[in-house]
Amino acid sequence: MQLTGMLWGRKLLDLVEFPHSEVRGPELSVDEIKDMIKRHGQVFIKPVFKGGVGKKGKAGLMGRVDNISDALKEKERLYFATHQFGNVTAKASGVTYEGAVPAKYEVYFSIADNTRYRAPTMTITHHGGVDIEELPPEKIKEVPFDPLTGLKAFHVANALEELGAPTELISPLVQNLPKLWDLYNNYGMLMLELNPIRMSNAKGRLSPVACDFKCMFDQDDPAWKRLNLPGHLFSDDASEFEQEINQLRTYQGQSDVYVMNDQGTITAPTFGGGANAMVTELLGEDATISSDFGGNPPYAKMNDISRITFKYWLEQSNVLFIIGGKANNTDIYETFRAIGDGLKSHFQKHGPKPLYVVVGRGGPNLIRGMGYLRDILDSLNIPYRFFGFDSAMSEVINYALKVNEWMKNGGKEEIMAKMGG
Amino acid sequence: MHKEGVEGYEYYVGINSLSELATKEDRVVVLNMLGKESSGVTPVSHVYSGGNIVFGTGPGKSGKSLPTKIGNIPCYNSIKEGLAAGHKFNTVVVYLPPSGVKDGVAEAVRENPDLKKVIVITEKVSVKDQRTIRAICQSNGIDLFGGNCLGLADAWNEVRIGGALGGSNPEESLLKGSIAIYSNSGNFTTTIAVYLSTQGWGTTTSVSSGKDIYIQYGPKEFFPALNNDDRSKAAVLYCEPGGYYEQDLDLKKPLVACVVGRWKAKLTKACGHAGSLAGSGDDAEAKEKWFMDYFGVDGIYTPENPKFTKKGALVTNIAHIPEALTRVMDANGIKPDFEPTGNLALKPWFGNNQGLSLPAELDLPIVEAMAPYNEQIKQLDKQVGAQFSRETLKDTSGASMMDPKTQVSKIHGASILDATKYSFESNLVFALTKQRPEEYGEKLANLVLNMHVNQHGQPTLVAAQAARDNGNSPNTVFSSAVAILGKKAVQKELEAASALLDLFQLTPLKNPSEDFDYKDVLKEAANHKDSLLASGEDPCAPKMLEWMSSVPGGKSVFFKFLSDFGKEQGGTVSKEAIFAATWVTLGWNSLKTKKISKDTLVNLSWYSRIYSLMVGVAAPAEKHQEGSFCGVKFEDMCGFSFTKTAFLSLMGREPSEKELFEFQVLLGLIITNGPGTISAQGSKGAVSADGPEQPSRVQINKSFIGFLTHTGFAHGGNGYEAAAYLIKLFKDTSLKDPADANHGLDLEKIAMDAASDYGAYKKKQKELGNLDYGKIPCVNHPVFKGKDVNLDPREEFVSSLFKEKGIYNVFLDFYHNLVQGLFKTKVSKNVYCVNVDAVIAVILLKMVWADFKAGNLPESEIENASFATFLFGRMIGCAAEIDDHMNRGKNMDTRTPASKCVYVG
Repeated sequence: MQLTGMLWGRKLLDLVEFPHSEVRGPELSVDEIKDMIKRHGQVFIKPVFKGGVGKKGKAGLMGRVDNISDALKEKERLYFATHQFGNVTAKASGVTYEGAVPAKYEVYFSIADNTRYRAPTMTITHHGGVDIEELPPEKIKEVPFDPLTGLKAFHVANALEELGAPTELISPLVQNLPKLWDLYNNYGMLMLELNPIRMSNAKGRLSPVACDFKCMFDQDDPAWKRLNLPGHLFSDDASEFEQEINQLRTYQGQSDVYVMNDQGTITAPTFGGGANAMVTELLGEDATISSDFGGNPPYAKMNDISRITFKYWLEQSNVLFIIGGKANNTDIYETFRAIGDGLKSHFQKHGPKPLYVVVGRGGPNLIRGMGYLRDILDSLNIPYRFFGFDSAMSEVINYALKVNEWMKNGGKEEIMAKMGG
Repeated sequence: MHKEGVEGYEYYVGINSLSELATKEDRVVVLNMLGKESSGVTPVSHVYSGGNIVFGTGPGKSGKSLPTKIGNIPCYNSIKEGLAAGHKFNTVVVYLPPSGVKDGVAEAVRENPDLKKVIVITEKVSVKDQRTIRAICQSNGIDLFGGNCLGLADAWNEVRIGGALGGSNPEESLLKGSIAIYSNSGNFTTTIAVYLSTQGWGTTTSVSSGKDIYIQYGPKEFFPALNNDDRSKAAVLYCEPGGYYEQDLDLKKPLVACVVGRWKAKLTKACGHAGSLAGSGDDAEAKEKWFMDYFGVDGIYTPENPKFTKKGALVTNIAHIPEALTRVMDANGIKPDFEPTGNLALKPWFGNNQGLSLPAELDLPIVEAMAPYNEQIKQLDKQVGAQFSRETLKDTSGASMMDPKTQVSKIHGASILDATKYSFESNLVFALTKQRPEEYGEKLANLVLNMHVNQHGQPTLVAAQAARDNGNSPNTVFSSAVAILGKKAVQKELEAASALLDLFQLTPLKNPSEDFDYKDVLKEAANHKDSLLASGEDPCAPKMLEWMSSVPGGKSVFFKFLSDFGKEQGGTVSKEAIFAATWVTLGWNSLKTKKISKDTLVNLSWYSRIYSLMVGVAAPAEKHQEGSFCGVKFEDMCGFSFTKTAFLSLMGREPSEKELFEFQVLLGLIITNGPGTISAQGSKGAVSADGPEQPSRVQINKSFIGFLTHTGFAHGGNGYEAAAYLIKLFKDTSLKDPADANHGLDLEKIAMDAASDYGAYKKKQKELGNLDYGKIPCVNHPVFKGKDVNLDPREEFVSSLFKEKGIYNVFLDFYHNLVQGLFKTKVSKNVYCVNVDAVIAVILLKMVWADFKAGNLPESEIENASFATFLFGRMIGCAAEIDDHMNRGKNMDTRTPASKCVYVG
């Protein structure tokens, strides 16, 4: 759950009265753009992306204009711009117009919970405006602080002093930066980054002006809901399947899913974070989804999860692969009963489909659960192998992969013929 | 702002040795003890640890307690109340919901100055609360573990604190040994312990750290404690991407590290463990490098390429941990703790190929599971047959369905189009056993089905003929006979089937054709003498047994058993027992693979008798003679397929090979239209009214009557409309043989004329203001319409099937011309489809055409034949429906609540 850009960032900054550049959204008329250029001399035009989208500037996805003709050209170029970074492709939907802030200094500032210190940590440098990773360590200061008391003025002052920042910067930053802790701490953030904060001299003395904004919310902290941000801001983060499963997200029983390959052919309801890491790693591109349904989900929840998962993925799957280690407290009977019933009702609704089931599991009520699932698979004419926890999980995964290959090479048709379809 | 603890840390750490993590002296309070999760896990922990939990809390739960095998654990409203009751403790385990965790910990810290350890089991605790809890514990000198962890366990001390490490039987997985385990995954903590035991390694202390963003007890605390623990000779660490917890380690003992999660670099949000979302410097590859640098190896340990030093090894597959550890320990001169307890090779405990021949690498033989699971599986195998959970089956079926898109119905998951490729007898068996009989099975089925077709001298025949003579439709005629075939009429067969079931159900016999040693069964069988042996001499029975036993192409252990049993007892096996044994043979594999219930298996004989009866009474009484049916001798008819017998009964003559195939197709097509069809509703209602929750009370013959009374001239007899239409058009033509493609008729002209006539009729009716004018039967369809050229896929399927077999039908050809004609004469806006009902009508009309033209068959009889054919086909689907409802349905579940009924008077 990430937010990037000033369109929404400015609204969040307003909550703690942190100064920011003038930012207007895609609704701006030609006359209003002209007016902005007149007032600021220059205007930045940036595409609006949903979710967490980085490295836009580097990708040339930013226009810097000083006349309306260029502004309109840039608007046209960037309005539906596509941005590829890492494995993700993002599509813009609109642009922002941001008044340029002339400044001598650019500051980088962020707060995040840092695993090195196991504390919220401020990262700051007065050599901002660039990727923080590109700076040598001596130009950056990381300051962990006590979450009970929060980020204090002295943290900022000491850090800047140690960095050797120009003294004229210190006072305005010390006055303003601690406000950002309130934003971070009160609204359930995991990370908040302003880069750059340009040190404007507009009123005869330096004052910080946030010119870009990035934050990440903690999905497990309901505090972000107080911001009343529109749901669509985060909708691109999740596929339809993920969204549907996420609705079942409660603290009892995990329901984490991630679409790995929408063309995959093995659907693996996986139990446990460890199993999730290992199974998805070894299944690779064959997997439709990565999932963690462990944590002893009750029958009804697991049945809902199965129903949704089968709805989205069963038709294209060769192998239904139910996998986990030796469960500590997940009741295997309850989970297998829920999955088995889900499978049965899917077949009843959509008719039989060629499928092979592979199971690798251990835990409470194991045999009862396996017995229940076995009976359902027998009644549906689905071939299967169930492995206990004394078979190496990786070997069970390899077995599932081999089954998948066989299915791709005629096995599917053989099963279908046996099913009478 | 932290208390002073163990030296060398810039923050508070109170644990100096792993031996201090989970001790016999620790006294534990469980927050939200009576919650779902805790109430399952806490009693096991308490018993395993010798009773270390002093009390639990739950607001409003004061006075309640959590029962355990070694006594109840009291519950209080709050920690304060528990302390006031005199309890002392040093450890808190938190099972509170996420939003309550911070407050729970704060309460514990504030109320109990003796608190030393806090273990948070709860998942999805917000990061904000986690950092706050950490700060609280740091400033009060308390060691914190979790969240989202399973806590701590110590195999030496036999103590576990927190969650469910080791599951419901910790002693089974946590074997005492010399290896400490630290794992980001709670499940893998146990799984690794189990894996280690396969190479003879037991454990000391196991730590499930959790894998949230905050890992409160990390490797930097674990390893120094490992160094100080004399019991632990080495450690296994399992970790995932995200966080810098494993960087710059300081340990003095061998270590096997397992890093899993390279693929997580592709993630844009956390999945599985919340903290497993890495940045650029703490992804899996970065972590692998930290460990490789520490161990001084240049690669990952795999069995094929074992890279390790005395310091340890890095693996990326948990299955490699035991081997890597053994190699590392060997390099250090340390031997395993005990004899290896097995291996991690693939061992399927359950499997079924469902009749497929799988490649060898997939066709792994089932192995006996390790104890105690093998015993549990044996117990499980004593549950014979399918057990269905009962539900309201109104408009619902576990037997049939209709795909609303294709309009193609399915029975037991198989399309009726597919069913057309199988014989009538195969479909009749499949309807009940959910498994198609092989060739041998079909032969058996033919014998037993043909055996009871002839009703000569039976009251059933008298009843049927009386009904027929009084002008009843075929369904009513059938009903009259079926009513007589009550349970008593088949009691002996049912008892024999029950006896065979009792005797063989717990044996490993899966397939009756396999060799099976029934020596022990024979000993038991004496108790079932009355059910299996004839009361007196029965000269026919030995002949019948010999006959059934000599059916070529297979064998059945049940016949052999009956034969031996008869000899042993010096008696004659009854005909009913042989009959029942045949059906038990046909249903046995389905029973053992849990496709059908025991009740279904026992009732198969009853269904069989009803099938035979309905086919029999379709022929008038005079066709039933002693020793012959429709002129065919009993011995000869026993060699017939039941499909042929059904044709014989309807038409009074034997079919040609092509006719037989067409008839089979016809019967297959009408098996079912899903649970909503009236005939299915009638069957289901009849079962429902008898009360399927007591299956023995369901009268199967009455259920068939339910089906029969829910057919009629509109449902079942309507194929006749098309036949009548075709007769009108063709009776005055020169058509002699509808199967002859060289019929000499100008079908296009007949079609164009028919289309024009219809167009004129339609126009006239509209002018008269009659919008309810007659339609040409069997063209157009509410689903398959609207395209330029429309096709009913079912008709298309049959047409191509006939084409493939070289079967011609002039009436079907005409229908194809007719839809073109309707379009060409602008009666229709597009080319209608010929629907599946036309197929039924044209096949039937073709069968009777010669007799009709010769004047041997009045037009009224064509209607009866059409109706009876429908009943034969639908008998298959309704048998499945009856059996399904009996097994799954509830008493009176087809009724409609009064609130949903509407009065329109």
